Amino acid sequence: MQTTSISPYVVETARLTKSFGERTVVRGVDLRVPRGSAFGYLGPNGAGKTTLIRMLLGLTPATSGEMKLLGLPVPQRRTEALARIGAIVEEPRFHGHLTGRENLRVVAAARGGDAATRIEGALEQVGLAARADDRVKTYSLGMRQRLGIARCLLADPEVLILDEPMNGLDPAGIQEFRGFVRSFVEEGRTIVLSSHLLDEVEKTCDHVAIVDHGTIVAQGSIAELRGDGHVLFVEADDPQRARTVLASSRAVERVVDDGTVLAVSLLDLAAVPDLNRRLVEAGVAVRRLEPQHASLEQRFLEITTRLENAA
Amino acid sequence: MTALALPAPRLMGADLLKLRRNRGLAAVTTVLTVVAVAITVAVMELLHVSNAAKHGPAGGVTNLAHLAALVAMLGAAAAAIVGSRIGAGDKDAGVYRELVVTGRSRVALYLSRIPAGFAYLLPFVAGAYALAAVSAVALAGSSPAPGVRLLALTGLWTVLEVAFFYVLSVAIAALLGSRSYAIGVVLAFRLAILPLVASISALGIVRELMPNVALEALTPSALGDAARQGPTIAMSTAAIAAVLVVWAVAAVVAAGWRDVTRDA
Repeated sequence: MQTTSISPYVVETARLTKSFGERTVVRGVDLRVPRGSAFGYLGPNGAGKTTLIRMLLGLTPATSGEMKLLGLPVPQRRTEALARIGAIVEEPRFHGHLTGRENLRVVAAARGGDAATRIEGALEQVGLAARADDRVKTYSLGMRQRLGIARCLLADPEVLILDEPMNGLDPAGIQEFRGFVRSFVEEGRTIVLSSHLLDEVEKTCDHVAIVDHGTIVAQGSIAELRGDGHVLFVEADDPQRARTVLASSRAVERVVDDGTVLAVSLLDLAAVPDLNRRLVEAGVAVRRLEPQHASLEQRFLEITTRLENAA
Repeated sequence: MTALALPAPRLMGADLLKLRRNRGLAAVTTVLTVVAVAITVAVMELLHVSNAAKHGPAGGVTNLAHLAALVAMLGAAAAAIVGSRIGAGDKDAGVYRELVVTGRSRVALYLSRIPAGFAYLLPFVAGAYALAAVSAVALAGSSPAPGVRLLALTGLWTVLEVAFFYVLSVAIAALLGSRSYAIGVVLAFRLAILPLVASISALGIVRELMPNVALEALTPSALGDAARQGPTIAMSTAAIAAVLVVWAVAAVVAAGWRDVTRDA
């Protein structure tokens, strides 16, 4: 895969807004998608996820704000940018009376260049070579999703933008799809995946933006958003002594003792080995030393609840 | 305008593929063109064979006129179906947005449909007219057989009439974004609205702005009244060309503008 720009972000938006009459569905969105990541755009239904994707892809104009794809301003250089982007918006749609291969030929003709030479490889990659000459109307939803991915691959894309790609898939299909995403990231491509399924984003993506009511309310790596490692659970034979030792460290903000476990709020994640050493040197036998792994769901609910309370 | 803004042969080939692989469309188009002419000729010949005194030969100039009018009328219906299919087929199937996200100019996507659909339709219309022409000559019997010049002029007139309504159909389908609405609108326009407007003599010169009046004025005079589908109003060749070109260009531009500016 060739890359077209050296920008660290494949998607950048600034104050991006879309209104339909009086109703604003995307509200001043500042989004940055790091190159080479699997990026989740997470939010409830109606949060404006699809509208943002449609603006990026030139399917609907923005009301205001700026957008860049692969470092290129759009819509000014849309053709150039989209030449290296594959996308599935909502469910992938095809001409049902054409075969899978013929549908790819239609899109390859629209893409021009070398796209037609990638048809066979794309069909192989998504495991549809054996059914490529069957009419698409005989395909299952999972097969259509795979054909949608094959269609994206005709561009040899640097970025794949997938809007709710797991809707309607069975567990095997979801797992297979997750595998595709990870393999594409390993190939150096960037995946932008919009979804309302927190669990799926958490399992598939390494970066995420949480959107609610058309506004991004949090953005960063999954680990950052979950707050991984900021709270350390400690169990020791002498909790009182352990608490004293831990509280004396500059890396510790506070220690809460619930009677059996110490919940240690950290200022510096790198201090965990040092805290362990201090406890051992102080003669405290440590039975458990475990960073907290909050789920993205917990974090999402915290953020949205906070917003609702503030409103 | 970049190269991607222009309709490419490969793009036209893809549009043609969408039509060629549609069996239902092929069946309907065949019935409305070749089969309709074949049945008409067969019926006329059977009538002639069964009672030659009452029914004249199935060929000759007069029957060429009847058959040409039939091809023009049913060909326009086929044009409405094919034009609507190619004009709104991608939108109906939900595929249009998939083509737009390739980065290909919407103008190119739109313009490529016009020649592609015509390349599909033309063989059917040409086949139907060829059958009409052959039967007009071969089955002329005692009636005067049409000459080569009349056959060529009638053929061109027939194809022009079908081509005009084909272009209109593509444009209206792209404008409405719906195949079924477009077929209804074009057929109502061709079969009811235009003949009605053309028949209202009180409208005066306004009637000359109607495309059916311009097409009627182009009917080869040697065919006589047998090919006429409405009142004949004398028009200069320049006026006829201007009316047809303005209608076609206005429809194509309006639909192109709508296609480029609408949400995909």
